[in-house]
Amino acid sequence: MKRWLGLYAVVFFAFLHLPLLTLSVFSFNSSRFTVWEHFSLDWYRAVFRDPELIEGTWNSVIVAVAATLISTVVGTLCAYGLWKRGSRLLTGTLYLSLVTPEIVTGISLLALFQWMFRWLHWHLGLYTVILAHVAFSIAYVVIVISARLRTISPNLEEAAMDLGASEWGAFFYVILPALGPGIIAAALLALTVSFDDYVITSMVAGVDSQTLPMVIYAMARRGASPVINAISALITVFFGLLIVISQRVREA
Amino acid sequence: MNRRYFILGMAALAGCSRAARPRLNVYNWSTYVAPDTIPNFEQEFGVTVRYATYESNEEMLAKVITGNSGWDIVFPTYTRIKPMLDYGLVQPLRHEWLPGLSNLDPRFRTPTWDRELQWNVPWMWFATGIAYNRDVRPAPTRWADLWDPRLKGRLTMLDDPEDMLGACLKKIGLSFSATDPAELQRAKQEAIAQKPLVRAYLNAEVRDQLVSGDVLAAQLWATTAQQAIDSAPNLAFAYPEEGFPLYCDCAVILRESQRSRLAHQFLDYLLRPKVAAAAGDYTRVATANGAAKDFLPEATRNSPTLYPPPAILERGEWPETLSPAAQRLRDRIWTEIKSS
Amino acid sequence: MKLRSWFVLPTWAWMVGLFAAPFAIVLAYSFLARGVYGGVERPWTLENYQRLLDPLYLTILLRSFGMALLATLLCLILAFPAALFISRSSRHKNLYLQLVMLPFWTSFLVRTYAWLFLLRDTGLVNTALQKVGIIHAPLQLLYNDGAVLLGLVYGYLPFMVLPIYATLERLDPSLPEAAADLGARPWPTVLRVILPLSRPGIVAGAILVFIPCLGAYLTPDLLGGGRTVLVGNLVQSQFTTARDWPFGAAVSMLLMLLVTLLVWGILRRESEQLT
Repeated sequence: MKRWLGLYAVVFFAFLHLPLLTLSVFSFNSSRFTVWEHFSLDWYRAVFRDPELIEGTWNSVIVAVAATLISTVVGTLCAYGLWKRGSRLLTGTLYLSLVTPEIVTGISLLALFQWMFRWLHWHLGLYTVILAHVAFSIAYVVIVISARLRTISPNLEEAAMDLGASEWGAFFYVILPALGPGIIAAALLALTVSFDDYVITSMVAGVDSQTLPMVIYAMARRGASPVINAISALITVFFGLLIVISQRVREA
Repeated sequence: MNRRYFILGMAALAGCSRAARPRLNVYNWSTYVAPDTIPNFEQEFGVTVRYATYESNEEMLAKVITGNSGWDIVFPTYTRIKPMLDYGLVQPLRHEWLPGLSNLDPRFRTPTWDRELQWNVPWMWFATGIAYNRDVRPAPTRWADLWDPRLKGRLTMLDDPEDMLGACLKKIGLSFSATDPAELQRAKQEAIAQKPLVRAYLNAEVRDQLVSGDVLAAQLWATTAQQAIDSAPNLAFAYPEEGFPLYCDCAVILRESQRSRLAHQFLDYLLRPKVAAAAGDYTRVATANGAAKDFLPEATRNSPTLYPPPAILERGEWPETLSPAAQRLRDRIWTEIKSS
Repeated sequence: MKLRSWFVLPTWAWMVGLFAAPFAIVLAYSFLARGVYGGVERPWTLENYQRLLDPLYLTILLRSFGMALLATLLCLILAFPAALFISRSSRHKNLYLQLVMLPFWTSFLVRTYAWLFLLRDTGLVNTALQKVGIIHAPLQLLYNDGAVLLGLVYGYLPFMVLPIYATLERLDPSLPEAAADLGARPWPTVLRVILPLSRPGIVAGAILVFIPCLGAYLTPDLLGGGRTVLVGNLVQSQFTTARDWPFGAAVSMLLMLLVTLLVWGILRRESEQLT
């Protein structure tokens, strides 16, 4: 049985990773088609020379970092608050935001912004994207931190307060450090979800706020291009490194 | 101490940006200008242009319809101009600021959608026809040829309700802009009959598949077809005998724009023969600028795909703007076709 | 006010302002009429919901349901043995988990695009099959329901593996041991003992996969070639091409209702089972 499972695992991981590996390998192929011509870095050069791509990446980074910071802070606080005293309404709303189909979230936010802007005379922009990203990331953060909180004994806090700490002190100096790895995991999750998002972002992005997935999608709509392979390889490597680094930080 | 420097720094930065060059926001179709069109304009007029692109009229309209989108100039297809006018989205043009209007091809100086060019400057025009591989014999010359069972699985149609239904309508001899429900139902039957043969409903992305030979015949816009032909000489383009639609993408200035003068300057810049020629040649679209033709390279000027002879052009039809009721009906039929 | 009340305030603000309020607006839109060229305007009407009862749209909904169900089932079948393997491996558990998660960390768009690249007529699968001689002309692997299904399964597989793994990890190892002691062979043990016990994980994974698949928009768009309309595409097209926001809003509300009922129903059953 163990043998079969092991064999299956090999096939499974191959299925999971081969498509991305293939993309990456062919990003070095000079031909547009899947016939190997010769090794070439042309597509990578094209990536770095494309101003739309560079700007899209930059915007994605700004949005992801901002949204991650905000949602991690807000979500952690919320998870702690819910841990002390649960609220079925809030938890239910958070879950609902998680299961709402992305297209529905996207159009509802667009409708909200357009309705508001009729009076405020503002425009869609990077900030609307950030607001939207925080809105759907909070639930993820709350779930991860809540799970982590469940492994922390409530006595810890009591002990701290018995020793004279205020409620805030107990939270900040005792609970928060204990949550450390959980916060990193939640932040990583929020970062990925934000960086990756296409549907919601495309609906609420403004004049200046094209993000990387939007640029990639537009390119894919115009026809498969090895430039996308190159970008995909870069993204994969980047996030792979991020995960490995975060793992090391956690173990340390 | 640190905080003070930070605030000073921010103030300096804010001051800098206010003294920055004037801005113009232009929202256009993807690859509709030459690479140096925008940079040259920026340099000559000392401005910064924020240039972004879209893939469909709807995408552009969804952003613009609030009247508060931030864009100055957009390029709707002419059929969308009337709705935009109804919504009060467009600024009237001041001809005294547009001396270059005389460069336009005579056909476009009094177009049917804006006889006095009060609202728009025609930019590029093109038709929808059949792009095909020369291996297909006999060569398709009619829409009806796209119902040939031999093409099964190697045929694509446009993922656009107007164009796709239009082809069906022309096949059965009706007008491209038909609104009568009975006629549209007949067109729908044609589309459903054709669906088993259709590989997919694709727009520009079919270009690569034509070049690689995966697709033998595609309903396609002349410009994308020309791009494909550039990469693969064994491809060709046919203007169907039953008739075909003609489209023109036009530049309009949005009413919300506060930079009217600069916007006019940009439009006049686009009207320069050399600029229009460079854009037309690079993007492989036919330019509405008559004076530009002299500056086009010969191969482009004589391309039968981009600039067909007048005899062929006569068969073309300019689709009309659809009323909302007609559009609703078409949209429903489109959904029915797609989910059949 | 207690500290914990302050702590939940920002989240409340966000949820009310950027989730509940937009939701309410879409709800309102679903009862309005379509503007002449887009947007919404009075009168208030039930027409959009009446339109929903049309068999055309119900078929679309049904088809989306079926596709999502199938994708979830496939994910379950593929993920369970993998989760089992990881939970049973003694050494490199973390490594395996990371290997499962790594594709998830890359962009969903990229993962969907990867299949576009592989399944084209000139893609790797066809080229390889032709080289080996199994086929002589390229198969059309793209632009059909199968490709969409593949894209969905591939995209959401990690979401199924992790919850199942988490549940398996917490299983009491003495249970399968007891089964073995009683003479059960390995495979029946898995089916009769372990599978039922990992139910919470399976349910969680199923929800995490089914819901996004139901509202899927990108995958059918890129891999489906526009040949089928699923609910996600329908909503998107109403807000763009068709410019019929009220109808799009009505479809969205229906989708939300179904999703909410489903999740609520499942969670209630699960908590009933626990008590």
